[in-house]
Amino acid sequence: MTCSSAQVLIEAYLDGELGPGQSAEVREHLENCASCTEVYRRLKQLQTDIRAQAPYYQAPDHLRERVRAALHNASERDAVRTRALPWNWMAIAASILLVLSLAWSLALLRSRSSTRDLVAQAILSSHVRSLIGTHLLDVPSSDQHTVKPWFNGKLDFSPNVKDFAAQGFRLLGGRIEYVENRPIAALVYQRRQHVINLFTWPTSSADESGKLELNRNGYHLLHWTKGGMTYWAVSDLNEGELEQFARLYNQ
Amino acid sequence: MEGDNKLALFEQSIVPHLNAAYNLSLWLTRNTHDAEDVVQEAYLRAFRFFDGFKGGDGKAWLLAVVRNTWLSWLRKRKGDSPAVAFDEQTHSPERERSNTESTLVEKAKLGSLQECIELLPIEYREVVVLRELEEMPYKDIADVAGIPLGTVMSRLSRGRKRLEDCVAARMNGGSR
Repeated sequence: MTCSSAQVLIEAYLDGELGPGQSAEVREHLENCASCTEVYRRLKQLQTDIRAQAPYYQAPDHLRERVRAALHNASERDAVRTRALPWNWMAIAASILLVLSLAWSLALLRSRSSTRDLVAQAILSSHVRSLIGTHLLDVPSSDQHTVKPWFNGKLDFSPNVKDFAAQGFRLLGGRIEYVENRPIAALVYQRRQHVINLFTWPTSSADESGKLELNRNGYHLLHWTKGGMTYWAVSDLNEGELEQFARLYNQ
Repeated sequence: MEGDNKLALFEQSIVPHLNAAYNLSLWLTRNTHDAEDVVQEAYLRAFRFFDGFKGGDGKAWLLAVVRNTWLSWLRKRKGDSPAVAFDEQTHSPERERSNTESTLVEKAKLGSLQECIELLPIEYREVVVLRELEEMPYKDIADVAGIPLGTVMSRLSRGRKRLEDCVAARMNGGSR
Protein backbone atom coordinates (compact mmCIF):
# COMPACT_ATOMS: atom_id res chain seq x y z
CA MET A 1 0.00 0.00 0.00
CA THR A 2 1.34 3.43 -0.93
CA CYS A 3 1.32 6.46 1.33
CA SER A 4 -1.29 8.23 -0.78
CA SER A 5 -3.63 5.21 -0.56
CA ALA A 6 -3.03 4.91 3.16
CA GLN A 7 -3.73 8.57 3.79
CA VAL A 8 -7.05 8.36 1.99
CA LEU A 9 -8.08 5.54 4.33
CA ILE A 10 -6.41 6.68 7.51
CA GLU A 11 -9.38 8.47 9.07
CA ALA A 12 -11.74 5.63 8.28
CA TYR A 13 -9.14 3.33 9.86
CA LEU A 14 -9.04 5.51 12.98
CA ASP A 15 -12.84 5.48 13.17
CA GLY A 16 -13.05 1.71 12.85
CA GLU A 17 -14.92 1.90 9.56
CA LEU A 18 -12.65 -0.34 7.50
CA GLY A 19 -13.20 -4.06 7.03
CA PRO A 20 -10.62 -6.46 8.42
CA GLY A 21 -8.73 -6.77 5.12
CA GLN A 22 -8.26 -3.07 4.59
CA SER A 23 -7.55 -2.47 8.28
CA ALA A 24 -4.75 -5.00 8.15
CA GLU A 25 -3.27 -3.34 5.06
CA VAL A 26 -3.32 0.09 6.67
CA ARG A 27 -1.91 -1.23 9.92
CA GLU A 28 0.91 -2.93 8.04
CA HIS A 29 1.68 0.26 6.14
CA LEU A 30 1.78 2.27 9.39
CA GLU A 31 4.22 -0.18 10.91
CA ASN A 32 6.63 0.58 8.11
CA CYS A 33 6.02 4.27 7.47
CA ALA A 34 7.07 6.98 9.90
CA SER A 35 5.36 9.89 8.14
CA CYS A 36 1.97 8.19 7.86
CA THR A 37 2.31 7.07 11.47
CA GLU A 38 2.79 10.70 12.42
CA VAL A 39 -0.38 11.68 10.55
CA TYR A 40 -2.25 8.90 12.37
CA ARG A 41 -0.78 9.92 15.72
CA ARG A 42 -1.93 13.53 15.31
CA LEU A 43 -5.45 12.46 14.34
CA LYS A 44 -5.62 10.05 17.26
CA GLN A 45 -4.40 12.76 19.64
CA LEU A 46 -7.06 15.16 18.38
CA GLN A 47 -9.70 12.49 18.90
CA THR A 48 -8.48 11.81 22.43
CA ASP A 49 -8.39 15.54 23.22
CA ILE A 50 -11.89 16.13 21.90
CA ARG A 51 -13.30 13.28 23.97
CA ALA A 52 -11.48 14.49 27.06
CA GLN A 53 -12.17 18.21 26.72
CA ALA A 54 -15.40 18.71 24.81
CA PRO A 55 -18.26 18.31 27.26
CA TYR A 56 -20.99 15.75 26.70
CA TYR A 57 -23.89 17.74 28.03
CA GLN A 58 -26.29 16.03 30.40
CA ALA A 59 -29.96 16.97 30.20
CA PRO A 60 -30.93 18.95 33.32
CA ASP A 61 -33.54 17.35 35.59
CA HIS A 62 -36.14 20.05 34.91
CA LEU A 63 -35.92 19.27 31.18
CA ARG A 64 -36.42 15.59 31.89
CA GLU A 65 -39.56 16.47 33.85
CA ARG A 66 -40.80 18.88 31.17
CA VAL A 67 -40.44 16.23 28.46
CA ARG A 68 -42.12 13.56 30.63
CA ALA A 69 -45.05 15.85 31.36
CA ALA A 70 -45.39 16.85 27.72
CA LEU A 71 -45.39 13.21 26.62
CA HIS A 72 -48.04 12.28 29.17
CA ASN A 73 -50.19 15.17 27.98
CA ALA A 74 -49.77 14.10 24.37
CA SER A 75 -50.67 10.54 25.29
CA GLU A 76 -53.77 11.75 27.16
CA ARG A 77 -54.83 13.85 24.18
CA ASP A 78 -54.48 10.81 21.92
CA ALA A 79 -56.62 8.75 24.30
CA VAL A 80 -59.30 11.46 24.49
CA ARG A 81 -59.36 11.76 20.73
CA THR A 82 -60.03 8.04 20.42
CA ARG A 83 -62.73 8.10 23.09
CA ALA A 84 -64.40 11.07 21.41
CA LEU A 85 -65.35 8.95 18.42
CA PRO A 86 -67.58 6.21 19.85
CA TRP A 87 -69.29 5.77 16.52
CA ASN A 88 -66.02 4.44 15.05
CA TRP A 89 -66.82 0.94 16.32
CA MET A 90 -65.06 -0.81 13.48
CA ALA A 91 -61.79 0.85 14.39
CA ILE A 92 -62.30 -0.11 18.03
CA ALA A 93 -63.13 -3.69 17.12
CA ALA A 94 -60.06 -3.84 14.91
CA SER A 95 -57.90 -2.49 17.75
CA ILE A 96 -59.25 -5.08 20.17
CA LEU A 97 -58.57 -7.85 17.67
CA LEU A 98 -55.06 -6.52 17.11
CA VAL A 99 -54.31 -6.35 20.83
CA LEU A 100 -55.67 -9.86 21.35
CA SER A 101 -53.67 -11.31 18.49
CA LEU A 102 -50.55 -9.54 19.72
CA ALA A 103 -51.08 -10.90 23.20
CA TRP A 104 -51.59 -14.40 21.78
CA SER A 105 -48.46 -14.13 19.63
CA LEU A 106 -46.51 -12.88 22.61
CA ALA A 107 -47.72 -15.79 24.74
CA LEU A 108 -46.74 -18.20 21.97
CA LEU A 109 -43.37 -16.52 21.61
CA ARG A 110 -42.74 -16.58 25.33
CA SER A 111 -43.47 -20.28 25.61
CA ARG A 112 -40.95 -20.93 22.85
CA SER A 113 -38.25 -18.58 24.14
CA SER A 114 -35.45 -20.10 26.05
CA THR A 115 -34.97 -19.16 29.67
CA ARG A 116 -31.93 -17.21 28.58
CA ASP A 117 -33.91 -14.93 26.26
CA LEU A 118 -36.32 -14.14 29.08
CA VAL A 119 -33.43 -13.38 31.39
CA ALA A 120 -31.84 -11.19 28.71
CA GLN A 121 -35.07 -9.24 28.37
CA ALA A 122 -35.34 -8.81 32.15
CA ILE A 123 -31.70 -7.72 32.34
CA LEU A 124 -32.19 -5.17 29.57
CA SER A 125 -35.29 -3.73 31.28
CA SER A 126 -33.37 -3.44 34.56
CA HIS A 127 -30.56 -1.65 32.80
CA VAL A 128 -32.84 0.85 31.07
CA ARG A 129 -34.86 1.47 34.24
CA SER A 130 -31.69 2.15 36.19
CA LEU A 131 -30.74 4.84 33.69
CA ILE A 132 -34.03 6.72 33.46
CA GLY A 133 -34.99 6.61 37.11
CA THR A 134 -33.23 8.06 40.10
CA HIS A 135 -32.22 4.68 41.40
CA LEU A 136 -28.88 3.72 39.89
CA LEU A 137 -26.92 3.13 43.08
CA ASP A 138 -27.79 1.84 46.57
CA VAL A 139 -24.18 2.08 47.60
CA PRO A 140 -22.37 4.89 45.76
CA SER A 141 -18.67 4.25 46.17
CA SER A 142 -15.68 3.74 43.94
CA ASP A 143 -13.98 1.68 46.62
CA GLN A 144 -14.42 -2.05 46.05
CA HIS A 145 -13.67 -2.62 49.75
CA THR A 146 -16.76 -0.57 50.58
CA VAL A 147 -19.04 -1.97 47.89
CA LYS A 148 -18.35 -5.71 48.38
CA PRO A 149 -19.11 -5.87 52.12
CA TRP A 150 -22.20 -3.69 51.64
CA PHE A 151 -23.91 -6.70 50.03
CA ASN A 152 -23.37 -8.85 53.16
CA GLY A 153 -26.68 -9.63 54.79
CA LYS A 154 -28.58 -8.29 51.79
CA LEU A 155 -27.75 -11.15 49.43
CA ASP A 156 -27.12 -14.83 50.03
CA PHE A 157 -23.84 -14.58 48.11
CA SER A 158 -20.89 -12.22 47.94
CA PRO A 159 -20.33 -10.72 44.51
CA ASN A 160 -16.89 -10.37 42.99
CA VAL A 161 -16.30 -6.61 43.00
CA LYS A 162 -13.39 -5.19 41.03
CA ASP A 163 -12.34 -1.71 40.05
CA PHE A 164 -10.67 -0.88 36.73
CA ALA A 165 -10.32 2.88 37.04
CA ALA A 166 -6.73 2.59 35.81
CA GLN A 167 -7.98 0.97 32.59
CA GLY A 168 -10.76 3.53 32.14
CA PHE A 169 -13.67 1.58 33.67
CA ARG A 170 -14.47 3.33 36.91
CA LEU A 171 -16.55 1.62 39.59
CA LEU A 172 -19.48 3.86 40.56
CA GLY A 173 -21.06 1.56 43.13
CA GLY A 174 -23.74 -1.08 43.35
CA ARG A 175 -27.36 -1.87 44.03
CA ILE A 176 -29.69 -4.79 44.60
CA GLU A 177 -31.73 -5.83 41.61
CA TYR A 178 -34.45 -8.41 41.09
CA VAL A 179 -34.42 -10.70 38.11
CA GLU A 180 -36.90 -13.55 37.83
CA ASN A 181 -37.84 -12.91 41.49
CA ARG A 182 -34.32 -13.50 42.67
CA PRO A 183 -32.28 -10.74 44.39
CA ILE A 184 -29.01 -10.21 42.54
CA ALA A 185 -26.11 -7.79 42.57
CA ALA A 186 -25.77 -5.00 40.03
CA LEU A 187 -22.31 -3.44 39.88
CA VAL A 188 -22.18 -0.13 38.06
CA TYR A 189 -19.23 1.11 36.03
CA GLN A 190 -18.54 4.17 33.94
CA ARG A 191 -16.58 4.41 30.70
CA ARG A 192 -16.52 8.01 29.47
CA GLN A 193 -20.22 8.93 29.31
CA HIS A 194 -21.39 5.33 29.13
CA VAL A 195 -22.83 3.39 32.05
CA ILE A 196 -22.18 -0.33 32.30
CA ASN A 197 -24.37 -2.47 34.53
CA LEU A 198 -22.79 -5.76 35.48
CA PHE A 199 -25.40 -8.13 36.89
CA THR A 200 -24.16 -11.16 38.76
CA TRP A 201 -25.53 -14.06 40.78
CA PRO A 202 -24.55 -17.66 41.55
CA THR A 203 -25.20 -19.96 38.62
CA SER A 204 -28.07 -22.32 39.26
CA SER A 205 -28.87 -25.53 37.42
CA ALA A 206 -31.61 -23.64 35.57
CA ASP A 207 -29.12 -21.13 34.14
CA GLU A 208 -27.68 -21.87 30.75
CA SER A 209 -23.94 -21.59 30.74
CA GLY A 210 -21.74 -20.51 27.87
CA LYS A 211 -21.09 -17.12 26.35
CA LEU A 212 -23.63 -14.99 24.58
CA GLU A 213 -23.57 -11.65 22.76
CA LEU A 214 -26.76 -9.77 22.04
CA ASN A 215 -27.78 -6.44 20.59
CA ARG A 216 -31.17 -5.08 21.59
CA ASN A 217 -32.50 -1.56 20.99
CA GLY A 218 -29.01 -0.17 20.59
CA TYR A 219 -27.69 -1.78 23.78
CA HIS A 220 -25.05 -4.49 23.89
CA LEU A 221 -25.31 -7.44 26.23
CA LEU A 222 -22.56 -9.90 27.09
CA HIS A 223 -23.26 -13.02 29.12
CA TRP A 224 -20.84 -15.55 30.57
CA THR A 225 -20.42 -17.84 33.52
CA LYS A 226 -17.24 -18.32 35.51
CA GLY A 227 -16.30 -19.77 38.85
CA GLY A 228 -19.90 -20.71 39.60
CA MET A 229 -21.16 -17.17 38.95
CA THR A 230 -23.35 -15.87 36.15
CA TYR A 231 -22.53 -12.47 34.62
CA TRP A 232 -24.45 -10.15 32.35
CA ALA A 233 -22.80 -6.91 31.21
CA VAL A 234 -25.12 -4.34 29.58
CA SER A 235 -24.25 -0.97 28.12
CA ASP A 236 -24.70 1.31 25.14
CA LEU A 237 -20.92 1.24 24.97
CA ASN A 238 -19.61 -0.28 21.75
CA GLU A 239 -19.08 -4.06 21.64
CA GLY A 240 -15.31 -3.86 21.36
CA GLU A 241 -14.87 -1.92 24.58
CA LEU A 242 -17.55 -3.88 26.42
CA GLU A 243 -15.68 -7.06 25.51
CA GLN A 244 -12.53 -5.42 26.81
CA PHE A 245 -14.34 -4.82 30.10
CA ALA A 246 -15.49 -8.45 30.21
CA ARG A 247 -11.96 -9.70 29.57
CA LEU A 248 -10.59 -7.51 32.37
CA TYR A 249 -13.21 -8.90 34.72
CA ASN A 250 -12.33 -12.47 33.85
CA GLN A 251 -8.63 -12.14 34.54
CA MET B 1 -50.76 1.42 18.64
CA GLU B 2 -52.69 1.27 21.92
CA GLY B 3 -52.15 4.42 24.02
CA ASP B 4 -50.63 3.09 27.23
CA ASN B 5 -48.47 0.58 25.39
CA LYS B 6 -47.22 3.29 23.08
CA LEU B 7 -46.15 5.54 25.93
CA ALA B 8 -44.53 2.66 27.82
CA LEU B 9 -42.68 1.43 24.75
CA PHE B 10 -41.61 4.98 23.93
CA GLU B 11 -40.35 5.49 27.46
CA GLN B 12 -38.34 2.30 27.27
CA SER B 13 -36.74 2.79 23.88
CA ILE B 14 -36.55 6.55 23.30
CA VAL B 15 -36.54 8.46 26.59
CA PRO B 16 -33.17 6.96 27.69
CA HIS B 17 -31.57 8.92 24.85
CA LEU B 18 -32.54 12.29 26.36
CA ASN B 19 -28.92 13.14 27.13
CA ALA B 20 -27.87 12.41 23.57
CA ALA B 21 -30.72 14.60 22.30
CA TYR B 22 -29.79 17.44 24.64
CA ASN B 23 -26.07 17.16 23.90
CA LEU B 24 -26.62 17.43 20.14
CA SER B 25 -29.12 20.28 20.53
CA LEU B 26 -26.80 22.28 22.73
CA TRP B 27 -23.84 21.90 20.40
CA LEU B 28 -26.07 22.97 17.50
CA THR B 29 -27.88 25.89 19.14
CA ARG B 30 -25.08 26.94 21.51
CA ASN B 31 -27.45 28.09 24.22
CA THR B 32 -29.32 26.13 26.87
CA HIS B 33 -32.71 27.85 26.47
CA ASP B 34 -32.96 27.04 22.76
CA ALA B 35 -31.52 23.56 23.25
CA GLU B 36 -34.27 22.74 25.76
CA ASP B 37 -36.98 24.01 23.41
CA VAL B 38 -35.60 21.96 20.52
CA VAL B 39 -35.40 18.81 22.68
CA GLN B 40 -38.96 19.14 23.94
CA GLU B 41 -40.31 19.78 20.44
CA ALA B 42 -38.25 16.89 19.06
CA TYR B 43 -39.59 14.49 21.66
CA LEU B 44 -43.19 15.44 20.89
CA ARG B 45 -42.54 14.89 17.19
CA ALA B 46 -40.80 11.60 17.90
CA PHE B 47 -43.78 10.46 19.95
CA ARG B 48 -46.13 11.42 17.13
CA PHE B 49 -43.99 9.53 14.60
CA PHE B 50 -43.31 6.58 16.90
CA ASP B 51 -45.65 4.30 14.98
CA GLY B 52 -43.24 4.59 12.08
CA PHE B 53 -40.28 3.47 14.17
CA LYS B 54 -39.23 0.03 13.02
CA GLY B 55 -37.21 -0.86 16.09
CA GLY B 56 -33.43 -1.18 16.15
CA ASP B 57 -31.30 1.75 17.18
CA GLY B 58 -33.59 4.25 18.91
CA LYS B 59 -30.79 6.75 19.38
CA ALA B 60 -30.00 7.26 15.68
CA TRP B 61 -33.71 7.52 14.89
CA LEU B 62 -34.27 10.05 17.66
CA LEU B 63 -31.23 12.16 16.77
CA ALA B 64 -32.45 12.37 13.17
CA VAL B 65 -35.72 13.79 14.55
CA VAL B 66 -33.76 16.18 16.80
CA ARG B 67 -31.67 17.40 13.90
CA ASN B 68 -34.73 17.97 11.69
CA THR B 69 -36.50 19.75 14.54
CA TRP B 70 -33.47 21.98 14.99
CA LEU B 71 -33.50 22.76 11.26
CA SER B 72 -37.19 23.80 11.41
CA TRP B 73 -36.47 25.83 14.50
CA LEU B 74 -33.60 27.55 12.69
CA ARG B 75 -35.83 28.45 9.74
CA LYS B 76 -38.41 29.97 12.05
CA ARG B 77 -35.93 32.36 13.58
CA LYS B 78 -35.71 35.74 11.92
CA GLY B 79 -32.20 36.80 10.94
CA ASP B 80 -28.95 35.79 12.54
CA SER B 81 -28.91 36.03 16.31
CA PRO B 82 -25.46 35.89 17.81
CA ALA B 83 -24.89 32.84 19.97
CA VAL B 84 -25.44 33.61 23.64
CA ALA B 85 -22.84 32.22 26.01
CA PHE B 86 -24.17 29.09 27.65
CA ASP B 87 -23.75 27.70 31.14
CA GLU B 88 -20.69 25.60 31.70
CA GLN B 89 -21.83 22.07 32.39
CA THR B 90 -18.36 20.81 31.77
CA HIS B 91 -17.39 17.71 33.60
CA SER B 92 -13.66 18.18 33.91
CA PRO B 93 -11.43 15.27 33.03
CA GLU B 94 -9.13 14.04 35.75
CA ARG B 95 -5.51 14.79 34.99
CA GLU B 96 -2.21 14.74 36.81
CA ARG B 97 -0.63 18.19 37.25
CA SER B 98 3.06 18.10 37.92
CA ASN B 99 4.17 21.74 37.63
CA THR B 100 2.61 25.20 37.35
CA GLU B 101 3.69 25.84 33.79
CA SER B 102 2.09 22.70 32.40
CA THR B 103 -1.06 23.55 34.39
CA LEU B 104 -1.32 26.94 32.69
CA VAL B 105 -0.70 25.44 29.27
CA GLU B 106 -3.29 22.73 29.94
CA LYS B 107 -5.84 25.34 31.12
CA ALA B 108 -5.34 27.41 27.98
CA LYS B 109 -5.76 24.29 25.89
CA LEU B 110 -8.87 23.25 27.84
CA GLY B 111 -10.76 26.37 26.83
CA SER B 112 -9.38 26.32 23.29
CA LEU B 113 -10.58 23.01 21.92
CA GLN B 114 -14.09 23.48 23.22
CA GLU B 115 -14.21 26.99 21.73
CA CYS B 116 -12.72 25.75 18.48
CA ILE B 117 -15.53 23.22 18.13
CA GLU B 118 -18.12 25.90 18.91
CA LEU B 119 -16.60 28.08 16.22
CA LEU B 120 -16.73 25.39 13.56
CA PRO B 121 -19.22 25.98 10.76
CA ILE B 122 -22.39 24.11 11.68
CA GLU B 123 -22.07 21.43 8.99
CA TYR B 124 -18.63 20.43 10.32
CA ARG B 125 -19.62 20.81 13.97
CA GLU B 126 -22.56 18.42 13.80
CA VAL B 127 -20.50 15.69 12.14
CA VAL B 128 -17.64 16.07 14.64
CA VAL B 129 -20.05 15.95 17.60
CA LEU B 130 -21.83 12.87 16.27
CA ARG B 131 -18.56 11.07 15.54
CA GLU B 132 -16.41 12.01 18.52
CA LEU B 133 -18.91 12.59 21.31
CA GLU B 134 -21.74 10.34 20.23
CA GLU B 135 -19.33 7.77 18.70
CA MET B 136 -21.68 7.05 15.83
CA PRO B 137 -20.62 5.05 12.79
CA TYR B 138 -20.50 6.99 9.53
CA LYS B 139 -23.70 5.37 8.32
CA ASP B 140 -25.69 6.60 11.33
CA ILE B 141 -24.22 10.09 11.00
CA ALA B 142 -25.35 10.08 7.36
CA ASP B 143 -28.88 9.11 8.48
CA VAL B 144 -29.05 11.70 11.25
CA ALA B 145 -27.69 14.58 9.16
CA GLY B 146 -29.47 13.49 5.98
CA ILE B 147 -26.31 13.55 3.87
CA PRO B 148 -24.48 10.92 1.83
CA LEU B 149 -21.72 8.82 3.35
CA GLY B 150 -19.03 10.50 1.26
CA THR B 151 -20.14 13.91 2.52
CA VAL B 152 -19.89 12.67 6.11
CA MET B 153 -16.29 11.64 5.51
CA SER B 154 -15.23 14.84 3.77
CA ARG B 155 -16.91 17.10 6.36
CA LEU B 156 -15.34 15.11 9.17
CA SER B 157 -11.93 15.35 7.56
CA ARG B 158 -12.24 19.10 6.98
CA GLY B 159 -13.68 19.66 10.43
CA ARG B 160 -10.76 17.84 12.04
CA LYS B 161 -8.26 19.82 9.98
CA ARG B 162 -9.89 23.09 11.03
CA LEU B 163 -9.80 22.04 14.68
CA GLU B 164 -6.10 21.23 14.49
CA ASP B 165 -5.39 24.58 12.87
CA CYS B 166 -7.56 26.44 15.37
CA VAL B 167 -5.92 24.82 18.40
CA ALA B 168 -2.44 25.36 16.96
CA ALA B 169 -3.22 29.04 16.30
CA ARG B 170 -4.35 29.54 19.90
CA MET B 171 -1.34 27.76 21.32
CA ASN B 172 1.01 29.88 19.23
CA GLY B 173 -0.91 32.99 20.20
CA GLY B 174 0.61 32.55 23.66
CA SER B 175 -1.03 33.32 27.00
CA ARG B 176 -4.26 35.30 27.18
